[in-house]
Amino acid sequence: MIDVSPGSVDIREKLNAIHLNVFYGSFQAIKDASLKMAAKTVTALIGPSGCGKSTFLRALNRMHDLTPGARVEGEVTLDGQDIYAPDADPVVIRHRIGMVFQRPNPFPKTIYENVAYGPKIHGERDKATLDATVERSLRQAALWDEVKDRLNRSALDLSGGQQQRMCIARVLAVEPEVILMDEPASALDPIATSKIEDLIGELKKEFSVVIVTHSMQQAARISEYTAFFHLGEIIEFGTTTNIFTRPREKKTEDYITGRFG
Amino acid sequence: MASAASSAPSRRLSSNSGVRLRRLIDALATGVLWIMAASIICLLATFIMYLFYLGFHSLSWQFLTSAPTQSAGGGIGPEIYNSFYILVLTLIFTVPISLGAGIYLQEYARPGLFRSVVQFSAESLATVPSIVMGLFGLLIFVFYFHWGFTALGGALTLTLLNLPALVRVTQEALASVPDSLREASIGLGATKWQTIMRTVLPSAIGRLTTGIVLIAGRIFGETAALIFTAGLSVSANHPYELNPFRSAETLAIHLWYTHSESVIPDVDRVGNGSALVLLIMVLAFNIAARLAGSALTKRFTGRSS
Repeated sequence: MIDVSPGSVDIREKLNAIHLNVFYGSFQAIKDASLKMAAKTVTALIGPSGCGKSTFLRALNRMHDLTPGARVEGEVTLDGQDIYAPDADPVVIRHRIGMVFQRPNPFPKTIYENVAYGPKIHGERDKATLDATVERSLRQAALWDEVKDRLNRSALDLSGGQQQRMCIARVLAVEPEVILMDEPASALDPIATSKIEDLIGELKKEFSVVIVTHSMQQAARISEYTAFFHLGEIIEFGTTTNIFTRPREKKTEDYITGRFG
Repeated sequence: MASAASSAPSRRLSSNSGVRLRRLIDALATGVLWIMAASIICLLATFIMYLFYLGFHSLSWQFLTSAPTQSAGGGIGPEIYNSFYILVLTLIFTVPISLGAGIYLQEYARPGLFRSVVQFSAESLATVPSIVMGLFGLLIFVFYFHWGFTALGGALTLTLLNLPALVRVTQEALASVPDSLREASIGLGATKWQTIMRTVLPSAIGRLTTGIVLIAGRIFGETAALIFTAGLSVSANHPYELNPFRSAETLAIHLWYTHSESVIPDVDRVGNGSALVLLIMVLAFNIAARLAGSALTKRFTGRSS
């Protein structure tokens, strides 16, 4: 079902899911999903609620390790190395594969402390380096100008959209290679959403972005590749243009034309 | 019926008898619940005022600082000292253990037999009456260890008595920290321990502190567990000793002892004064718990709770 034939989708992959299965107890949430995610591009995961797209995303940096009863089978490779290999360290993996969550989840600390959190846990002590990292990350997240005068105020005082951009800055501060985003704009208003989308457009120049979205317009606007999920399976994968203009699968067409979902 | 209603020429907006009855019941319920809530305040206010009325004229610097005597005119200085001494000693034992156990149960233990057994044990321990715990302390610390009545024995007995409650306080404080914060931290590559130390505990510190200080108030006023363990006397020669291996009558015990056993002539003066001081202290703990909780929350999270 997945078209990986040469010519149609030629991908230099950064992240590669190979025959991935995810179980919650006896329930199989992801069924034999394989997907290549290219370097320095945006890959969108779309599909109706409960189709497994978030579950799939969380398998890409081992967040399921935290969920009691969750089990992952198959491989996910980062530059060819399996992140589920016995000697793969989830702390290192999550350092290289960052994650932005559905709801902004700032720590109840100052803006500065939020952004410096990652570098600090990875051992950075030097104040000047931390200051520089915080500024660079906030600039990258297009938030610096809005917060530079109140870095020592609580991050909880920011608006929802600012909080989410700060959460992106927080991920950028640990200098990941891949950024996973789980419906990062679903809790935000249209203006904040468009800022996040502009930001994603900038980020893909340097990072590989995998984004779950329930908004097909959003997927069309920001992604190069799109995978359509349904009932835990990847029904179709291709360039975003192809998925939205010439879907090959009936289910994909039904979904993008709004016949279900 | 529906068609009858919809075909009626106009439906009135004023209330009919059915609605009036429901509104009456609503008003009654509001009133009754308000009275119940208000009666708690009245009870506390009456209690405090009565104790002030009885005990206020006993209060003096001399009463608060001098030692009790066999004749009239004794004070409660050593008892206040002992109450704090045993409190601090108890907290030194209780806080680390309950923090450790609570963190393990809430953050590490996966649902399973071990966690269930620990949880069940803690809850069972919590239902042991303090007098039973006091007799247990008597058997173990006083007789078996041959310590006699000691401040240390009293503190250890109070530790056993209050551990379950503090474990619960810890668990509830940690459970109040949203999982999204743990995910954020883990997602940045933090280890579990870093996540607990840098995110979970700082976010829970306000509730933790409030819980600990409230339990401190309870320890301060505890009697039954101490009668047979810390004893009923203070040293005549060294009333303010640091040595934990000595009998240490606390303020709450002194209050009980004065009224039930003592032969001093000014029982009422000493008793009422002790009761008032004890009450003020325990109230102070409650107020301090709230202030410290919100101050620490603000300090660690940059925001008022």
